[in-house]
Amino acid sequence: MSSALDIGYGALAAGYLLILIPLAIMLYLRVSFLSDTLIALVRMTLQLLFVGFYLQFVFNLNLWWLNFIWLLVMVLVANLNILNNSRLRRRTFLAPMFVAMSAGMGIPLLYMIGVILRLPNLFEAQYFIPLAGMIMGNCLRSNIVGMRSFYGTLKEQRPAFLLTLSQGASLWEALLPHVRRSFEDAIAPAVSGMATIGLVALPGMMTGIIMGGTNPMTAIKYQIAIMIAIFTGQTLSVFLGIVLTLRRSFTPFGVLRSDIFRKES
Amino acid sequence: MTTQPAALPPIECMGVTIAFGSHTVIRDLSLAVQPGEFVALGGDSGTGKSTLLQAIMGFTPLQAGEVRIMGQPLNPATVWQLRRHIAYVPQEAQVGNGMKTEAFLQRPFSYKANAGQRYDAKVARELFDCFRLPQRLFTSPLHSLSGGEKQRIAIIGAILLNRPLYLLDEITSALDEDSTRAVTDWFAGQTDATILAVAHDAVFREAARRIVPLRVNGDQP
Repeated sequence: MSSALDIGYGALAAGYLLILIPLAIMLYLRVSFLSDTLIALVRMTLQLLFVGFYLQFVFNLNLWWLNFIWLLVMVLVANLNILNNSRLRRRTFLAPMFVAMSAGMGIPLLYMIGVILRLPNLFEAQYFIPLAGMIMGNCLRSNIVGMRSFYGTLKEQRPAFLLTLSQGASLWEALLPHVRRSFEDAIAPAVSGMATIGLVALPGMMTGIIMGGTNPMTAIKYQIAIMIAIFTGQTLSVFLGIVLTLRRSFTPFGVLRSDIFRKES
Repeated sequence: MTTQPAALPPIECMGVTIAFGSHTVIRDLSLAVQPGEFVALGGDSGTGKSTLLQAIMGFTPLQAGEVRIMGQPLNPATVWQLRRHIAYVPQEAQVGNGMKTEAFLQRPFSYKANAGQRYDAKVARELFDCFRLPQRLFTSPLHSLSGGEKQRIAIIGAILLNRPLYLLDEITSALDEDSTRAVTDWFAGQTDATILAVAHDAVFREAARRIVPLRVNGDQP
């Protein structure tokens, strides 16, 4: 088994030259987010370098509690990102979202490590951290869509929602069509992704393992397991995210609180 | 139907004040609608007529005062029960999208609160004729209907619930003369029902037994 070819720092620097192509196109089109792109590029570099150093450190130590703290920090950062993107108040939503994301990621992660991979140590850094990151990244994207769609349409369709309450709907009866639709919005991309995987795109994890020198069939088995874990994580975290934030979002009269949204600055 | 003099007013507002931030819309309003009475709220735009109807439904919080429905105070514990007495037709008939007319009319009967009742297609079809709506609209998607059509669908939806109280918010605003007359005549003929309506339209307003004017900034007479 050969391990992946290392990239020299000089060669990596040359890699940045490739970015001139997208930058040239963006300049030509006068795209509005050129500076955002540059900032994103710098952030990507710094964050990944940081994670690289950190992971080396963590892998060497391989302490379960340190890995666990890493996980909590990741959940927290993901939640702040979701709430920023859906313009929801952190103070109101952080606690329930934290529970939703922790359960949504934790359950499939531990199942995959404990039941599918059968590792004696559930917190084995080499598996725990990359798998958690993959599940979390996907949960994050789904939850941004889910929360934005759910609270956005409820705000937008306030009169129609109140009409259903007036017709005698309980809060849950009135919410169910909205929950269903936001859930569909959030999960549909994952379903179509599953349906085309391998045909249209080779998944990152699999390519990584193959380049790492592993037999493609082993890589595929990992990929199947992670796909199922990711899908479980997405559905669970989106569903819990909506359901667990409901209690704080409505008045006892069943009306959506206006103070759950962040003020536009 | 004869009205018992001792009967409680089905809708009663006592010293109701409603404010949005520092802006007081309704100040210390008291109003009682008697059983079988048809009351229209008058007054210029911005005097809080729609807001008052929303407050009676429990959709807008009160700053002070109390709303009573069928003699019971409206609060978080009672609101879910009390709403079942009221058929509410909101302004501009925002009935929602993504479904067909008949599905919209049937939907409330799937709620537990209406479990004792069943959707009556025959009555619905009669009301379509009565309000001059073509029968083919039954199978049309809601989003393809005009404002006036949606408004009448919302009215029919409220009538089908067969409730004793009506809160009607500008329900003829998008209707032509003929349809306005038809809707007005229907409500004027409901002597058993208690009706509180916001109405700018003269025809509809004339059908009311009593007109209560609201004033700007909530300063009541």
